[in-house]
Amino acid sequence: MRVLLPFSPSIVPLLALSLALLPCALVAQPNLTPGATQTESVLIVGATAHLGTGDVIEDAAIGFSDGVFNFVGRRFAVDLKRYVRVIEAHGAHIYPGFIAPNSTLGLMEVAAVRATVDFDEVGTFNPHVRSLIAYNASSDITPTVRTNGVLLGQITPRGGTISGTSSVVHFDAWNWEDAVVSEDDGLHLNWPSTHHKHRKDGKMTIGRQKSYDQRLTEITNYFERARAHHLSSNPPLTDLPMRAMSGLFASGDSPGSQTLFVHAQDAKQIAEIIRFKRAMNLDRVVLVGGQDSWMLADPLRENNIAVMLLRTHSVPRYDEDDVDLCYRLPALLEAEGVQYCIQGEGRMPEMNTRNLPFFAGTAVAYGLEYEQGVRALTLSTARILGIESTCGSIEQGKRAILFISSGDALDMRTNDVTHAWIDGRQVVLDNKQIQLYEKYKAKYDAQPQY
Amino acid sequence: MYLAGHPLYAMFSKFSAFTLLLLTFGHALLMGQTVPLSSVSSSTFPANGPADKHLVVEVLEGASVHVDADVVIEQGHVAMRDGRIVSVGAGPYVGSAGEPVVRHDASGQHVYPGLVDVFSDLGMAKAKRASWDGKPHYEREDSQAALGWNGALHSEFEAAAVFEPGAKRTEALRKAGFGAVLTHRRDGIDRGTGAWVTLADDAHRAVIAPRAARAHSFSKGSSRQQYPSSLMGSIALLRQTYHDAQWYAQFDRPLERNISLEAFNARAGLPTIFETSGWQDVLRADRLCDEFGVQSVFYDRGDAYQRLDEVAATGGALIVSLKFPEALDVSDPYLARLVSLKELKHWELAPYNPGRVAARGIEMALTMHGHDAAKSFWKALRKAVACGLSERDALAALTTVPAAMAGAEDRLGRLAVGLEANVLVASGPLFDEKTKLRANWVQGTEHVLQAEPEFEVAGHYSLNLGGRDLMLRVKQKKEGHPKAEWWPAEEPALSDSALKAELSIAGRDVVLQIHIEGEGVFRLNGNIYKNSRIWEGRGEAPDGTWLDWAALRQPKPRPKGPEQARPDSLEGAQATATNVEAAPELGAVTYPFGAYGTTLESAPLVESLHIQGATVWTCGPEGKILGGDVIMHGGRIVAVGTAMEPVLDPEMVFGKYGLNVQGVNLQVLNGAGLHVTPGIIDEHTHIAATRGINESGQASSAEVEIGSVLNSEDVNIYRHLAGGVTAGQVLHGSANPIGGQSGVIKFRWGADPEGLKIKDAAPFIKFALGENVKQSNWGDHQTVRFPQTRMGVEQVFYDHFHRASEYGQAWSDYERAVASTTRRNRRLGHLPIRPRIDLELACLLEILRSERFVTCHSYRQDEINMLMHVADSMGFRMNTFTHILEGYKVADKMREHGVGGSSFSDWWAYKFEVKDAIPYNGALLWQNGVVTAFNSDDREMARRLNQEAAKAVKYGGVPEQEALKFVTLNPAILLHLDHRIGSLEPGKDADLVIWNDNPLSIYAQAQQTFVDGRRLFDIERDLELRATMRAERARLIQKMLDDPAESKPPPRERRGPHYHCDTVNDQI
Repeated sequence: MRVLLPFSPSIVPLLALSLALLPCALVAQPNLTPGATQTESVLIVGATAHLGTGDVIEDAAIGFSDGVFNFVGRRFAVDLKRYVRVIEAHGAHIYPGFIAPNSTLGLMEVAAVRATVDFDEVGTFNPHVRSLIAYNASSDITPTVRTNGVLLGQITPRGGTISGTSSVVHFDAWNWEDAVVSEDDGLHLNWPSTHHKHRKDGKMTIGRQKSYDQRLTEITNYFERARAHHLSSNPPLTDLPMRAMSGLFASGDSPGSQTLFVHAQDAKQIAEIIRFKRAMNLDRVVLVGGQDSWMLADPLRENNIAVMLLRTHSVPRYDEDDVDLCYRLPALLEAEGVQYCIQGEGRMPEMNTRNLPFFAGTAVAYGLEYEQGVRALTLSTARILGIESTCGSIEQGKRAILFISSGDALDMRTNDVTHAWIDGRQVVLDNKQIQLYEKYKAKYDAQPQY
Repeated sequence: MYLAGHPLYAMFSKFSAFTLLLLTFGHALLMGQTVPLSSVSSSTFPANGPADKHLVVEVLEGASVHVDADVVIEQGHVAMRDGRIVSVGAGPYVGSAGEPVVRHDASGQHVYPGLVDVFSDLGMAKAKRASWDGKPHYEREDSQAALGWNGALHSEFEAAAVFEPGAKRTEALRKAGFGAVLTHRRDGIDRGTGAWVTLADDAHRAVIAPRAARAHSFSKGSSRQQYPSSLMGSIALLRQTYHDAQWYAQFDRPLERNISLEAFNARAGLPTIFETSGWQDVLRADRLCDEFGVQSVFYDRGDAYQRLDEVAATGGALIVSLKFPEALDVSDPYLARLVSLKELKHWELAPYNPGRVAARGIEMALTMHGHDAAKSFWKALRKAVACGLSERDALAALTTVPAAMAGAEDRLGRLAVGLEANVLVASGPLFDEKTKLRANWVQGTEHVLQAEPEFEVAGHYSLNLGGRDLMLRVKQKKEGHPKAEWWPAEEPALSDSALKAELSIAGRDVVLQIHIEGEGVFRLNGNIYKNSRIWEGRGEAPDGTWLDWAALRQPKPRPKGPEQARPDSLEGAQATATNVEAAPELGAVTYPFGAYGTTLESAPLVESLHIQGATVWTCGPEGKILGGDVIMHGGRIVAVGTAMEPVLDPEMVFGKYGLNVQGVNLQVLNGAGLHVTPGIIDEHTHIAATRGINESGQASSAEVEIGSVLNSEDVNIYRHLAGGVTAGQVLHGSANPIGGQSGVIKFRWGADPEGLKIKDAAPFIKFALGENVKQSNWGDHQTVRFPQTRMGVEQVFYDHFHRASEYGQAWSDYERAVASTTRRNRRLGHLPIRPRIDLELACLLEILRSERFVTCHSYRQDEINMLMHVADSMGFRMNTFTHILEGYKVADKMREHGVGGSSFSDWWAYKFEVKDAIPYNGALLWQNGVVTAFNSDDREMARRLNQEAAKAVKYGGVPEQEALKFVTLNPAILLHLDHRIGSLEPGKDADLVIWNDNPLSIYAQAQQTFVDGRRLFDIERDLELRATMRAERARLIQKMLDDPAESKPPPRERRGPHYHCDTVNDQI
């Protein structure tokens, strides 16, 4: 079967057929059923393909079969006959599925309702706590995120000194087992503040955190013990937290399998983290947040520490900071050659995951080149998460995780996701909010015109 | 009797014997205006021992007598008797024949009136604060007496009744030269009355005017009551108290006895001192007092120089703080980022504040408040003098001016007959660096501060130590004991082997310790004789034997070249330093003071501008004009169209206004590739307000006004302009069903708080529904306040509206009754009782009369529906539902009612009540004919409201031009301001934004933002401002590093609070 779906505005009447513009046409899946395993090969032609690698292909042909990209090139070079379903997408844009790192999506449903909040476990050192098994694959929020092109996420615990272990999942699954892309990809360490603030005479005063050295010692000792545990061939008893730290450390010549994600914003903290990485001889350390990272670009680059930058839509910290400082952070790091990606921690992070594309759009408005902006949501993120061999870009052999937007997906004015696939399985682009919209729209459409 | 054991006896001075005598014989005489001698029986205190009759006149003679800041009598005298000044004049005192007189030679000294501090809490015990039990307290619990309802009001408090001089603080003040202070208890919003007290040790003498002034502040102090929980609540509470007092005064036999209000009325005529925390507070306090015809004296924290014109315009005198900010430790470049430019600038300019205030012609008193010790006070005072405060103004600000501020000009502040005998004796002109305060006479009693040294001990001595000859060199130090060194006499002077000797001198008693190597320590005691030339006595040798010793001062050694040169060069260096000080590089005062402020000279002017050939999104009937022109002049838009149209001929355009186009300096801007839109309007914001966005102390706080707490210095104003946002409604939060009155403002960066307001804007009030008002998410203790359910919320509205309606009825009844009062009754004062002015009900009455409009925080359809029913049945129309995330469920009902919706574009999942929120809400409301806006409620997102509008295109397909109206024309309509702002039409305000791209695109950046025709943001100028700030910061950091302060505290965090609807707690 060959389905032709027009995107050119000149073929307006055919729009009625478009799945995209009439999500209600999909009411066949009111329960947001995960897509079925790919059985038909799919080829998308005519669109502008943003590969995630920094490259772009105009009038592209992107083909995938059995859940894997098998053609990435120009339209004229593809053999149409190889594909069962060919989608004409002239004027539209293709992207690799955007990745939301450092996300609590699926760990929280309603912020104000404690019963629905599952990202912050009691305790200081909780490396053994795993976000994956608490990830609610049928959260109401997740489908509202997919509809803007965000298809993967690193589900991350919060709180304590070591919050726990994150995992990377995709957003179209029956359960967490199906969702997992990278199980237990890394541990999350909240770096203590070197300086603390206290209120005095109505003013905040900052002084060196008296307990900082103590806390640093505790962290260092904890890591040393974990390393000893890791190196021990036969630990006498099972120590769950210690065992959970094991992946951070090298085994012989092979580097550690897990990444240490260190959360911090301040320049002084960042300097300390760099020292810590060297002292502990850790292979994979990523700075999460990093509002001041632009001030330490050289040492970050030299020490091979990537940065998951805080939300570009953040207010500058200091009154006399450049008004657009946070908007420009990605461009600042790009110019300095620091490895980085864009994330969305901040106010109402779960629901704001759907605005992730626009955090990159802003970075493009403020100095990134467009394809760099796309890469900061895709391949750069995948590299930082250690999943770049299979995800993060549209490249032959990689998992077919992609979406089509009828317009520029980084701009809310034009972001309009019409199709999305995860491993070649077509994602239902419906959600609770669209359903409510349709429900009430139908009510009003039935009323006499006012 | 009561003098026995008096601390005065413990004082030592060269006059102490006389003083003792005087006190013993003269003290029982009590004060009389003209110092009569016939007051033998005028003390109520029984005498234990002989009566103290105060017969002797004490005279300071031969001094430079500073009568006040303007008049000096050289070689003059001041005579005192019985605590009063009896004579001041030139030459020696000539008393009556046979009068007992003690004359003190004060030649070479300068004599001043004892200093006066009008802002003190001397002798006030700190108000007790109940311990916090974590629970909210809506009723007053600190007292069951017949006092006012609110624990922050202490109108009945009298400082005089509890004043107890504390030795330590009294002494510190005396040491600083003060003779009297006005003391009041710094607790609460109305602080009751303050008293003039002298710094005598005995309260009975010290209290010279028990009810001298009242004092107000905005700080609730020790009260644990919930209300007020915000600055605007404090303001409303004080206003209401004035109204209540006026109402209460009508009753001879009030139904409800209120001692606080009675006291308030009884003290109404007294001068009022208003403690503020900065110039914005001064303006707030003055507005409040103006309403009741009161002119306050303001305590200024020390930043009045930042807005001198506005502060001067209040007409109020200032009590100016001399507490200058310390230099901070900015050595760590990362941590130094915590120090704001504002702080740095204030650190530099604060010492100039007193001088600038005085030079501006503002009546000014100085205060020691903020300084514990005389030393730091004088350091600051001299600094202020070095920074431009004239010595004359300084002296006046410490004497006559403060005295007159609270009616004590005939008691304090001058050296004149009949005034309290508060006399300050200084070794030289008061403000000279080297001058020492010698003595402080308080009500005729001398307190020695630093006695004139009787003799000098510095010099070389030949020391005979039991027959052994040594040399001793003694150096006088600034403080403490002199330094001594010794060496064997046979060695040359200043021998390298000079060894330290321990020397201590008390009076003429000397103890000297000399350690001789190999023997031990010789411990010598002796006396100093003959004007210090000869010391002699006995001592104990290290072996325990006793010996005689003597030292004889040698004639001064002949001056040596290099030794002599040193002090000179030192002085030279100091002189150079002083010269540098005289012309320091000083930062300019900018508006606002701090980041992104501009000087008056470079402030943006109203431009006449012709934008040509741009894409003009008029948001008006003209729609979007490609290749369009806009002409603005005089703060208004005068023409909009395409260049082809004759309406755009500048000659014609300006001709209409009777202007010659040549005369208006019309600039042309090529708009090719640019987009022009109206300035963006945020229907729901909480920036630019200070010290609390919620008055959460009651379920209704209709009486509070955001307009009274605007903060023109909030840097978010500038950030908003950088996002093209030019106006907004600063809303009360959503902590209670009936919130407070809105501040509808333009983001006029650089204006003062009043200047932000849109003058003729319709009045608004915030209401709220749902989880916030029923305190669902406030913690387990917050379960007391009514309402706790949505059911209760409805009844809060009905209850208040019925009361408001009855209130209106009471007033019209009253007015009718007044009108029908006969002339005779009127003459006799037989008038009907006037109802109480109730600020809360008056505000609600305005709603019922459709003179004030409601913006209501709302989420769920049930409560939206409910409130429309309340409005319908009470006869008014709801104006706006804000947030309104389930508005789409009742859009048809909303249209029918005629209410608008101002929504978030896409927020949800943060509370249970927003679980059905959808981003299509805006589109559905709009499609149903509801006037729809998108707002921020968030200082970050507000900067990108144009992008939020774009989400109406994305979610629900609203056409672009209509979507843009969500943040321009539609909020203007909702705010009843669409006749002035919201679209680009001739006659409207020149509030517009020039973008480099489609304004709905994420790639669009505001290039220029105009408010009233002033270019308040310009992307080019922004870069210049950054460079200027960076340079100014760098200069100030270097200067701070150079500051000689011994210890510098660490930097301070300065992130202000970030208000949202549900921000409940803030400091007040």
